[in-house]
Amino acid sequence: MNLQSLDPRVNRLNIPASTMTPMAPKSVLDQFATYEAFIQKKEGAPFTFAGAVHAPNPDVAFLFAKEQYSRRSSCTGIWIVQTAHVKLTPYASDEASIYDSFDIDKPEGVTRPLEPYEVFHQQKRGKAHTHVGRVGATSYEEAYELAKNKFSHLTPVVNVWIIKSKNILQSAEEDKDMWVTTAEKKYREAGAYRVMERIKRFKKEQQRRRSKI
Amino acid sequence: MNAPALKDLLFKLADDQLVLGHRNSEWTGLGPILEEDIAFSSMAQDKIGHSLAFYTLLHEELGEQDPDTLAFTRPATEFHNSQLVELPNGEYDFSLIRHFLYDNAEIIRFESLSQSSYTPVAKVATKLKGEIKYHVLHANTWLTNLGSSTEEAILRLQSSLNELLPYALGMFEQSKYEAELIADGIYSGEEAIKTEWLKRIKNVLAKTDLQLPDPDTTAPVLGGRYGTHTPHLQALIDEMSEVFKCDPGAEW
Amino acid sequence: MYGGGNIFEATVFDDLQAEDPVKLAEFEARIARGEKIEPDDWMPNLYRVQLIRMIEQHAHSEIIGALPEGSWITRAPGFRRKLALMAKVQDEVGHAQLLYSAAETLGKSREQMLTDLINGKSKYSNVFNYPTYTWADACTISWLIDAGAIVNQVANSKGSYGPYCRALERICTEEAFHLKYGHDSMVYLATGTEVQRKMAQEAINRWWGPIMSFFGPPDNVSVHTETLMRWKVKIASNDECRQQFLDMYVPKIWELGLTIPDDKLRKDEATGKWVYTEPDWEEFTRVINGDGPCNAERLAVRRRAEERGAWVRQALLNPKARYVRPLA
Repeated sequence: MNLQSLDPRVNRLNIPASTMTPMAPKSVLDQFATYEAFIQKKEGAPFTFAGAVHAPNPDVAFLFAKEQYSRRSSCTGIWIVQTAHVKLTPYASDEASIYDSFDIDKPEGVTRPLEPYEVFHQQKRGKAHTHVGRVGATSYEEAYELAKNKFSHLTPVVNVWIIKSKNILQSAEEDKDMWVTTAEKKYREAGAYRVMERIKRFKKEQQRRRSKI
Repeated sequence: MNAPALKDLLFKLADDQLVLGHRNSEWTGLGPILEEDIAFSSMAQDKIGHSLAFYTLLHEELGEQDPDTLAFTRPATEFHNSQLVELPNGEYDFSLIRHFLYDNAEIIRFESLSQSSYTPVAKVATKLKGEIKYHVLHANTWLTNLGSSTEEAILRLQSSLNELLPYALGMFEQSKYEAELIADGIYSGEEAIKTEWLKRIKNVLAKTDLQLPDPDTTAPVLGGRYGTHTPHLQALIDEMSEVFKCDPGAEW
Repeated sequence: MYGGGNIFEATVFDDLQAEDPVKLAEFEARIARGEKIEPDDWMPNLYRVQLIRMIEQHAHSEIIGALPEGSWITRAPGFRRKLALMAKVQDEVGHAQLLYSAAETLGKSREQMLTDLINGKSKYSNVFNYPTYTWADACTISWLIDAGAIVNQVANSKGSYGPYCRALERICTEEAFHLKYGHDSMVYLATGTEVQRKMAQEAINRWWGPIMSFFGPPDNVSVHTETLMRWKVKIASNDECRQQFLDMYVPKIWELGLTIPDDKLRKDEATGKWVYTEPDWEEFTRVINGDGPCNAERLAVRRRAEERGAWVRQALLNPKARYVRPLA
């Protein structure tokens, strides 16, 4: 016999009503990598950290992040990066700058090609990281040192993230029309529901009825 | 303005989207991955929103009843959707293949309608095109990812594709007013949309291990555009309107 | 949506004795200054364990909470309600996703949390073990359960853990829509036809008990609770939240001409506190331990969803991608 539900959707799932044995633990393989998403709210605004998604690759991560992180507010672009590709500093205290207390030695020996790195700052604990700019470097360590020179005036900085530009999947310029109608979906905004008038009318009607009796 | 022809066109657009949006909304909370659950729900909402936009045109521009009445009170025999969209969801492969086949046609329809000589429809289509662009990106990305992955996934998708292609071809059932709609520049007509659609879906399928059954020898399932439906549609409508109809005259 | 009744016992309080006193003092000073704790900071094990438990329970409550209202997703009357309910239930799934991510930053993987949920090893808000018989039940959840959840979540958003606060900020914004939508849908019922009014009243009658116990039993203040309050893991007491809810929503229920099934319910003007019949805590304990009207169904459905999705996840796995916990 199948489980009987008040939800017609559940009845269509044909779930056996019998008690089930515990579900086996998921294999490690069932864990997707995580990707971090950054949202640009309007043209020219910095990309700001929004949150993570679980996904098998950057393309799918983009599909997921687009709906999870940009469905409810204005958006003009998304950046996606695999979590493992973000290098971060320790966290400083609020009001302080991590650039003052944290140094890394440049790697010696191997010379790597010069390439662009994107730099993100967190201004206050509990707040989201935002993009502050780009440096050209041959390693994460060098990128951090360059960021320190270039961006340390932007205080406070409690935490810095550094990401190779080539590891960021950026939404395309011509895809901006995907967000055009976001603001028009009023049915999911608190402001679309105004019932004061209806309640007032109802109360008046109740009073009228009572006074008749 | 050829009102009967326009109504014929708008009803099939609106009904397709209402029924598919409704079907896709059944996945909410039950999807295969949390993030996909969210994405699929967004697209379902978009579809319902699009149907509302077209019912609103029918109401405001062409004198039909209000959108709620149109959507919630007509019997299945008065629905103009293709049978493709009314079939029950089945497993995720079935819903994904339907989504892929439907949205790749829908975007061509919207591209064509955005050039329509009938301005109200052109406006709506232009505005909503961006949403369908995401739907297509979503469908094509999933198809290319799953379509060349595990044996199980390929088998599932292939069997859903085989099952759904005849229904998908039914989307292009010609209207009684086909010649007039094309001549008046309302839209490009089903045959042109179908040709472009085949080209586009073949391009995507070529990147996968999936085989498109020969569309020339596949008999399309027709009749949906003029009220012939599977029993699933009336059941869907009954469920959808259960509350709406339980107290005639009530405002919800 | 999430209420009190989060279970704070378990971890032995002595655990704290094992912590480095200097680091512990720094940690406590940071919280006392009003700074947030971030994932890579040093933190006492008790803090980590309790936060994982709390955020995980919150996430489970969202994903399971999508089911009772989801029961009406295919039956919402009219476009306005249909679209709103779809968006609302979607938000709950979205909240689960955000919260699982926040919990993951503390070192427990999402898949492990989902497995624990399905196997009954971790709890979710008790209120979702009750059925939604009619459309009005769904409206009552949207309005009053979300209202209760907001009281709770606004309190929690003042907590000390950065990732949880960030998630709650977004969640509270979306809950504002849920609350307004829920209220709107109940106002239409209460001010509508006889059939609608009856439906609304019956739903309030059914849900009042679960709503009152939603906030959890009165906290018994132990040293343990005091520590968690000092660490801003637990912010407001269950009774404070319940009082605040009554203050805000009883008048709104009454103004719709609906009654509340509790003869004792009144505000004591002298103390400013609401007096009410104590919720049935025996039932609460029984239901939270699995014996409620819908416990079995909720978990079976969640499990079915996981199992039906298994082939999709298997097919998408990228052997090269490495799972690491999300950053923030």
